[in-house]
Amino acid sequence: MKTFVSAWVLTVMMTLPAWSATVTNKDADAAVLVVVEGESRMEVAISAGGTESICPSGCFITTPSGDRIGLQGDETIEIHNGSAVVK
Amino acid sequence: MMPKLFAAFLCLSMFGASAAVMAQEQAVKPAPQPAAAVASPQAQAAEQLEGARKNLARLTDQTKNANDDDSRLAELKVEVDAAAKQIISISVATRPRLDEIKARLTELGEPPAEGAPPEADVVGQERKRLLAERGEINALTGTAEDLSVQATKLSNGITATRRALFSNTLLKHTDINGSMVMDAIASLTLERQAFTRTVGSWLTFAWNFKRLQLLSALFLSLCAALVLLGCMRKLFFPLIHRELLSEEPGYITRLSVAFWSTMIPTFAMGAFAATSYFFLQVFKVLRPDIAPIISATLAVSVVLVFVSALSNAVLAPKQNTWRLVRVSDHGARLLAWSIFAMALVNVLDYVAGTISEVMGSPVVFTVVKSLIATIIIGLILMAMSLIKPIVPAGETLDGQGRPWPRAVKLLFVLTGVTLIIATLAGYVGLARFIATQIVITGAIVVTMYIGILTGKAVAKQNALADTVVGRYLEKRFGMEQVALDQTGLAAGLGIYMLVVLFFIPLIMLQWGFQIADIEAWAYRIFTDINIGSIKISIVGILAGILLFAGGYVVTRWFQRWLDGNVMARSRVDTGVRNSVKTGIGYLGIGLAGLIGISAAGFDLSNLALVAGALSLGVGFGLQNIVSNFVSGLILLVERPFKVGDWVVTGTTEGFVKRISVRATEIETFQRQTIMVPNSLFINASVGNWTHKNKLGRSDIPVTVSYSSAPRQVMDTLLQIAATHPLVLKNPEPQAVFTAFGDSTMTFELRVYLADIVNGNGVRNDLRLAIYERFKDEGLGAPFPKEELEPEPLPPGPESDAMALQAEAAGPAEITSSPVEAFKRSGTQRRPRRVTVDGAAEKD
Repeated sequence: MKTFVSAWVLTVMMTLPAWSATVTNKDADAAVLVVVEGESRMEVAISAGGTESICPSGCFITTPSGDRIGLQGDETIEIHNGSAVVK
Repeated sequence: MMPKLFAAFLCLSMFGASAAVMAQEQAVKPAPQPAAAVASPQAQAAEQLEGARKNLARLTDQTKNANDDDSRLAELKVEVDAAAKQIISISVATRPRLDEIKARLTELGEPPAEGAPPEADVVGQERKRLLAERGEINALTGTAEDLSVQATKLSNGITATRRALFSNTLLKHTDINGSMVMDAIASLTLERQAFTRTVGSWLTFAWNFKRLQLLSALFLSLCAALVLLGCMRKLFFPLIHRELLSEEPGYITRLSVAFWSTMIPTFAMGAFAATSYFFLQVFKVLRPDIAPIISATLAVSVVLVFVSALSNAVLAPKQNTWRLVRVSDHGARLLAWSIFAMALVNVLDYVAGTISEVMGSPVVFTVVKSLIATIIIGLILMAMSLIKPIVPAGETLDGQGRPWPRAVKLLFVLTGVTLIIATLAGYVGLARFIATQIVITGAIVVTMYIGILTGKAVAKQNALADTVVGRYLEKRFGMEQVALDQTGLAAGLGIYMLVVLFFIPLIMLQWGFQIADIEAWAYRIFTDINIGSIKISIVGILAGILLFAGGYVVTRWFQRWLDGNVMARSRVDTGVRNSVKTGIGYLGIGLAGLIGISAAGFDLSNLALVAGALSLGVGFGLQNIVSNFVSGLILLVERPFKVGDWVVTGTTEGFVKRISVRATEIETFQRQTIMVPNSLFINASVGNWTHKNKLGRSDIPVTVSYSSAPRQVMDTLLQIAATHPLVLKNPEPQAVFTAFGDSTMTFELRVYLADIVNGNGVRNDLRLAIYERFKDEGLGAPFPKEELEPEPLPPGPESDAMALQAEAAGPAEITSSPVEAFKRSGTQRRPRRVTVDGAAEKD
């Protein structure tokens, strides 16, 4: 029964949508994003192949390629060649 | 009644679904692009951003103007937050175009390096154009970014202002001295004159020019309040009527009477206040200088009615049988009076404050008025400590009471002294706030407490049945005990909901929260709760549950319709009918579940991952369940047996009652229900006596001594079989000489029956007939009883049945007549007979 319950809880947790933007760096080099969230402007470095969760409630990011992108806060983003691909 | 309810439910679920879908769409596409503007999304975005900038500028101005208006600030904050969201969604809308540009640029490739052959002119131009557009979009997003930062700053600024405002109001310090009091006294006359003049001129104006409107507004609002009061009294009469009883009424009755007799007058008064203000406003009778005074007066009268109704309900100074707290008559009267006096002083202070504000009197005057009011309240609190309301157990309530316990007394005195000291030290705002909280929040909390107690008492098992309402329901609607109990539970939960949803916002309003705050919170609680990175939406989950329930009901209905109308008339085999019905049931519930889960906001694509992870678990722990489930599906398709069949598997034998997806329900002949896991039916051999038809063979072994002629015995047996009406002529009965024993010959009579379920009755009849015929014809000779070693039977129904049969066969002659041998050893060739004997008991 316990296994059953924990399996169930696990299922529910997994199927719940994640609600912060997830950025994955697919490049060979580390990528530095400029994230503007609320009043603050900060730089987030993502190592090669690393994944980072940013801005749960909407933000703007500037990718290494120089493009600015507005995010709602629930997107999954991949960085290819310094530019962001929103899935 | 049912179809209507059903239709209403369906509509509701549809509505819920569409609302959820709409909400989702809104969330996904906050800034839909009109088809005409597709050509230049940038221009459109720029336009929207300009709009957002203007909106933000307007909000900034309004914030500056409303710097000391807390409720306006709260509303502005909600607007600013919405604007910030909108700015983000504007820039999100430009994203697809940016992606297109980037993709196209990648296709075009890098510009040729120096020295390389130049590319075609068209390509160069396109790249230039695309790069320009990309720059434009980036610039737009940059603007949006700045605007968003600005909006967040504004929003945070508003929060800071509101916080400062709150602490300023509470902790503002005023020097209390003689000159200030003198100033206040001087402005008293001025304000009195101004007030008389204003009110007088308004009254004259209203009476001379707006007489009809004034009177009709008053009339209409009075009507509304009276109708409300009348309706509620009629509706809730059993709830609020206090009979003059000699003995104490029940606890629930007292509680609910107290609760409702507080709520109903308060609601009526609130309705009167709201409608009269509304009508006065609509008929344009009010003037800007008079409106705040009228509204304050109406509001405080609602509060006064509430507090006095509550104290009256709890203390019941005139009817001590209805009193909720055990205090003496005298004490109750004094307490009710002091509470009323405190409330009165407090509300008068508020009205006076509003008047001063409207008349533009100096602030010191308001301060002095609040100071006086707070001191009076402090004194009343201290005086309350002198009341002697406590009645020791065993004494009557009309006697002389004892003083408060020391702690309570100290609490009263301390609160009073704190109030007076705080106000004299200059913290008038704080003292006034505390005084108001003591009266109003205290009253609200007491009402809540009574409400919760009522809910708890009503929800108790069988509590409702004993009350007036319960008896009324029983009489009027003929409700049963169980229904009444469930109604009580529902009513209890309903009262909890009412109490929580109504009073908690009321208390929050008291503490300086604004309606806009509470709305925003409520909205957030219902739409998105964030736990870490997970977002839960209560509305979505409720919509999901509603959809699932709707799908379930529709499935059941469709199942019934298909089974009862379509399949029953087209003469489909019961087994197929059952399979189709069950299959549709599972399919429908599965579909409803999927739809419900999706509507609740669960992402089903993640389920694949979980399924992968779980498959290992399935391999080990859940394999039995899964194999039974799959076996159940196979049983539904293959149909080796149907409901009502007589099946044998392993050690279980009986009639199939129900085939469900994990296990099959079998009822044995002893009426024991056995759940057989479906995998047993698939993996092991299953015997079915009634698979294609119910035709079956039944055997009766007969043992006679060697003194009989075998042919005569066999002929006699066949004759006996032929005379029985249930024995089939074709295939014809057989009599077989089966074995030579040491001192006996064994014959077997084999008869075919149209319905094998009748086997046992037929065998019983045949045995009786054989015994009688053999005895008449002198066939067979008994062998001594001691030589017969019957297999010992385990105690139980079977041996009982044996005993019964032996009795039926004849008590004494059993030793001196042909005997049927009940051979139950495993060496016999025929099918197991045990069950057939069992079936007889069933018949």
